[in-house]
Amino acid sequence: MSKPSDLIQGTLDLLILKTISNTPLHGWAIAKRIQQISNDVLLVQQGSLYPALHRLEQQAWIISETKPSDTGRMAKFYALSPAGREQLAKELGQWDRLSQAIGLVLKHS
Amino acid sequence: MLLLSRLRLRLQSLFRREALDDQLSQELAFHLAELKAEFLAKGMTDAQATAAARRAFGSVSSIAEQSRDYRGVSWLEDLIVDTRIACRTFAHAPTFFGIAVLTLALGLGANTALFSTAYAVLFRPLPYPSPELLVTVEKGVAGVGPIVSLRELARSVDYAGYLANNDLNLQLVAESTRARAAVVTANLATVLDVAPARGRWFTSNEERSGQHRVAILSHRLWRDRFHADPAILGRRIVLNEESFEIVGLMPPTFAFPTPTTELWIPIHIDPRDVGLMWGSGNLNAIGRLRPGATLAAAKAELPAVNDRIRSQFPWRMPDAYASGARAVLYAESLAHDIRPKLFALAAATLFLLLIACGNVANLLLARGVQRDREFAMRAALGARRGRLFRQLLAENLVLLSAGGALGLLFAALLLSALPRLLPKDTPRLHELTVDPTLLAITAASMVVTFALFGLAPMLRFWRFRPDSLAGRSFTPSRKSVRLSLALIGVQLGLATLLLVAASLMGRTLYALASVESGVNSTGIFTARFSAGPSRCATPERCLALLDDLSQRLLALPSIRSVNWANYAPLDKEFSATAVDIENHPQAPGAPAFVLWQTSATPGYFPALGIPLRAGRWFTNADRRGAPEVIVISESTAKRFWPNESPLGKRIRPLSNRETRTIIGVVADVAQYSLTGFPDWVDGAQYVPLAQSLPRGVQPIELTAIVESTQPQSVPGALSAILREDRSGVTLSRLQSLDQTRSDSVADQRSTAHLLATFAAIGLLLGVAGVYGVISHRSAQRTREIGIRIALGASAARVITLVVHETLFASAAGCAAGVAAAFALSHLLASLLFGISNHDPVAFVVAPTALLVAALLAAILPGLRASRVDPALTLRHG
Repeated sequence: MSKPSDLIQGTLDLLILKTISNTPLHGWAIAKRIQQISNDVLLVQQGSLYPALHRLEQQAWIISETKPSDTGRMAKFYALSPAGREQLAKELGQWDRLSQAIGLVLKHS
Repeated sequence: MLLLSRLRLRLQSLFRREALDDQLSQELAFHLAELKAEFLAKGMTDAQATAAARRAFGSVSSIAEQSRDYRGVSWLEDLIVDTRIACRTFAHAPTFFGIAVLTLALGLGANTALFSTAYAVLFRPLPYPSPELLVTVEKGVAGVGPIVSLRELARSVDYAGYLANNDLNLQLVAESTRARAAVVTANLATVLDVAPARGRWFTSNEERSGQHRVAILSHRLWRDRFHADPAILGRRIVLNEESFEIVGLMPPTFAFPTPTTELWIPIHIDPRDVGLMWGSGNLNAIGRLRPGATLAAAKAELPAVNDRIRSQFPWRMPDAYASGARAVLYAESLAHDIRPKLFALAAATLFLLLIACGNVANLLLARGVQRDREFAMRAALGARRGRLFRQLLAENLVLLSAGGALGLLFAALLLSALPRLLPKDTPRLHELTVDPTLLAITAASMVVTFALFGLAPMLRFWRFRPDSLAGRSFTPSRKSVRLSLALIGVQLGLATLLLVAASLMGRTLYALASVESGVNSTGIFTARFSAGPSRCATPERCLALLDDLSQRLLALPSIRSVNWANYAPLDKEFSATAVDIENHPQAPGAPAFVLWQTSATPGYFPALGIPLRAGRWFTNADRRGAPEVIVISESTAKRFWPNESPLGKRIRPLSNRETRTIIGVVADVAQYSLTGFPDWVDGAQYVPLAQSLPRGVQPIELTAIVESTQPQSVPGALSAILREDRSGVTLSRLQSLDQTRSDSVADQRSTAHLLATFAAIGLLLGVAGVYGVISHRSAQRTREIGIRIALGASAARVITLVVHETLFASAAGCAAGVAAAFALSHLLASLLFGISNHDPVAFVVAPTALLVAALLAAILPGLRASRVDPALTLRHG
């Protein structure tokens, strides 16, 4: 198993916001989803995930609700707030600009 | 919206901490369980899966900690925890805490109270719109005619006139009472930019004779005397036996020209009445700079305007009339006299605060030395330097808050007492209240305080090396001792300053108390008496009334004499007349001579024990119609006729055609103040009351001077006699002449008392500081002292050892304090009397007292140190 890539600084927030943009998920599921979709390239460390979730919650971008999970245990589900949705749009825009810029540099130099 | 929900989240973090922590640990446990389930699914045993999940997950508590940090209130939580620890620490050291808080509270309280007073009296904007545009004219033209002309002629200022403290007889249904009126021009409201709360202000027509009988009431008079009658407008009141219509009611906050003003009436312009228009100076100017005009312009235009006014007088005025006039800001002129005094007191409280800070800093330093072991322990257990620093900060904040809260209480107490401690005529004292300014000033002083007392221990901590937990003895570093000693020096220097200032004021008070006023005040009681036109329409009727009242009083066995005069000595009333003096022609342009004038009945001199030096006193024969006579004071005689007898010489009041002949010379008397006449007064004259009562419709105001074997019974006797015959006659200001004398030095006395109190506290704190530092130092050196005693050191040597540094610092501080006092004492000069501001007695007594006190404070712990049992300390040390 190759060492998963470290997330680019600041992109974890974007990934979390995007991941829960359709359905509310709990922390474990968020980590799993990011790992699966990225074909095990992106591995979110618990040490970063939970502080990030709490930071986003304190910014009032995500809201949490405690309810039973698939396995029946109680879990804390996170969903986007309206403000979070705006923030996601903003961060997506920024990401696009950044990746385009990087692409340009890589192609032309 | 977003902000609101964020605020809600912060509050939740703060107040629902446990619930949130529960949630967090549940959330992490869930994650761990899922992780374990995954490992189980891979075929691990339960124990293996648990271990693998833990490994993969990492430190639960570390993740929890980091997540908590994002709640955004962790610094606050830390502060709360630190504060709680600080409180617990202080609970174990109640003496330390008590002394520190009390010291801070004393310093902060006195400082806050005096700075608030100084602010309110000197700096707070006057309660009128654009107060920075209000000006007044000092030493300028005064009187109805001159002020009305000034109002017409001035271009850069809109001038109005006012006369403060004009007491009138207010006839109410049941009684006749005194009401304090201000006589004002109709444009005063425009100049001040104020409006009545109800009704209207005066119109310009109402300044004219005949239409002038209108009045505006103060809120207080309306409430107290008219029971807040809602239908007050249009009602008529009787003032000095004339009926006035009430046309307006001022708001409660309006306090111009003085807070005791109860009603306002318009000036009364009657061009035919020359005496009323030009003969008296009873109207002062206040003005508002016109748009675009500056104070400089107002100043510049005054000389030309004054010249034109001077030429309007019906008689020739000296060329120098009003030549010293200058326009000044009204706020400045109000605060003029009290400024040096308030500055001195505010500076004194600032010094007091600094001394208090020094004490607390020293206490903290000493405590810091004791706590080195504790801090070393905590550092060894992993506390970071910043964390320990925050702890120290929290402790200082707790001290500061407790001291500040108590200080605020103390300041409020002092502020409520200050109007009684300061002289009654202090301007704007009524505006002094516990208000946000006070809080701001407290906060500012607290910041200063914190910087001062907190800095020393924190600096010390910054150098603290938590390297040696055990083995090393925790003796204070040389630097820490030096800091401590420097603090003591500064404290004692400041205390010396305070003591010198207090001694100077004390010596002044003593000098004033021993001034020979020239008046025998024993058994003398005075009362201000006023009779309306119905009783005093002509001088003859008036004299008959006075004679009648005198006879009725004299019928009482305890009354020895009754006399009447325009004013009593030392009652702070002005009574000066410009005169021409025989043999002393004034060059054209030079100002006229000004003599202090007392009008009195013949018995005035013997009753007050004023000895005759030459000629004769007045007699009853010096009545109206008889040749006009005058008595002058000894120094006046010496000044104008140093080599010849003044008897038979003549003096002519400028406003009069007749000259008066000098018939007698009496000893000098302190008429105006114990410190002498104002410098523009050239001498003192006395005229018979019978020859100086004015003819006219104005009410007559006089002072009754009653000599009695039982002075305390005089007020009752006077009131009883007036009750029989109350119409048109009122009494006010009943007091003994001793009281009048004592009131006349209220300014110096209050300053002296307040300064003495501050100096006493400063001395106490400074000396306590000396005591504390020496006790502490000797306690730290017990072991060393024990060894020295064991090796044969004598008690004297040990005492010298522990006290010499501190006493040296005290002496150095004291010397610096004396030097500073020497340099600064001129600031007090205007308050001093009878001594120079470098008075040797004050400059010797104050530092000596301080050094003796410091020595005593040093000896006690020194003695204790010399009694150390060497065996005991060597065993336990």
